[in-house]
Amino acid sequence: MNCQELERLVHAYLDHELDLMTSLDLEAHLNECGTCRAHHQALRALRDAGAQHVRFHAAPAALKARIARELRDACRDRTSTRLQAWRAATAVSVFALTALLAWVALPVTSPGPRQAAAQSEERMVYHIASSADAETALRNVANHLAISPRARVVIVAHNNGVDFLLRGARNRDGSPYESSVSQLKAQGVDFRVCQNTLTRRQISLDSVIPEAHLVPSGIAEISRLQTQEGYAYMKL
Amino acid sequence: MPHLDAAYNLARWLVRSDDDAEEAVQEAFLRAYRFFGSFRGEDGKAWLLAIVRNTCYTLHTRSKAAGINEEFDEQIHQPETVAASSDGCFSRNPEEILIEHADRELINRALGELPLAFREVLVMRELEGLSYKEIAQIIDIPLGTVMSRLARGRHLLQRALVAHMNKESAK
Repeated sequence: MNCQELERLVHAYLDHELDLMTSLDLEAHLNECGTCRAHHQALRALRDAGAQHVRFHAAPAALKARIARELRDACRDRTSTRLQAWRAATAVSVFALTALLAWVALPVTSPGPRQAAAQSEERMVYHIASSADAETALRNVANHLAISPRARVVIVAHNNGVDFLLRGARNRDGSPYESSVSQLKAQGVDFRVCQNTLTRRQISLDSVIPEAHLVPSGIAEISRLQTQEGYAYMKL
Repeated sequence: MPHLDAAYNLARWLVRSDDDAEEAVQEAFLRAYRFFGSFRGEDGKAWLLAIVRNTCYTLHTRSKAAGINEEFDEQIHQPETVAASSDGCFSRNPEEILIEHADRELINRALGELPLAFREVLVMRELEGLSYKEIAQIIDIPLGTVMSRLARGRHLLQRALVAHMNKESAK
């Protein structure tokens, strides 16, 4: 290694970003070159001084409280409908279970209520992969909820299926999707958009309507919902 | 709340005012939630800091439209030229001295006065402890540029400190 190469690599060396062999080369050069050694020492001193003195600004407590409040509000808006149904279902089983546990005087350590509710709950993920199917899908979901109002429904949009969740999207007749989407949203339907699709099609995140949220991959999300959360799958 | 301190620290060093940093962080957390819901990626910290950084830039573009804080914005458009000229060989400080006794206030001021492009990589590396790869992802620049900006940033910082110290000792 010569002085010029050292100049280029010494920062990566300081930051422990060099591989072992290059580090050894660099150290060998430092051993034999006084100028580079001084340079390295000066940089290290600078970095140590920085580490010792540069201020880390921790978040003020008031900011933390404010963000927590805002996130709670946003979360409530998003899931209120679904949560009400879920709470009603769990409240009954939590009550029954704690009463039973109290009666037999066992310590209350139950993981039980959530599982009990999950078993009785109907869960369905609808997969929309083409914009032509969006309207049919929304109608089917609405019909589904009319029969089973407590069903938890997630719609995963992927490929051309994301189009109806972009701002100002309209169906073939030219009417906006907006009202049917927000109506389903109010009934607790969760809209999830594949971020890989957006990246591939170069669609900006800001053009997705606020009712929907992003998942890194639509396919991975569908697989996760089925294998880990017990959702049934419906392709539309 | 994970990474809130890291988020605030980055924002505070980027925008250099308590109020603006708070505004940026609050908006960034809401954005993160709105777009990603309950998603927790493997690399949550880098991901969140990228949103914080973008939010800082957006807020400043907005306030620039309102005629506030032009300086921040000018710097945004310049770093590439400054960084490019620094690639490879820049002259070393002739008076390269060991900065062992730089005082606290001086070093914080010197870092705060660095051009944004260098300030942000230094803060991400030294204070947030991010790897070159994470920094490259957050700023969306090649790894080599991360390296040259860090080199240039440290060089500028060193020069500023030496200048201040010489001024002090001349008094």
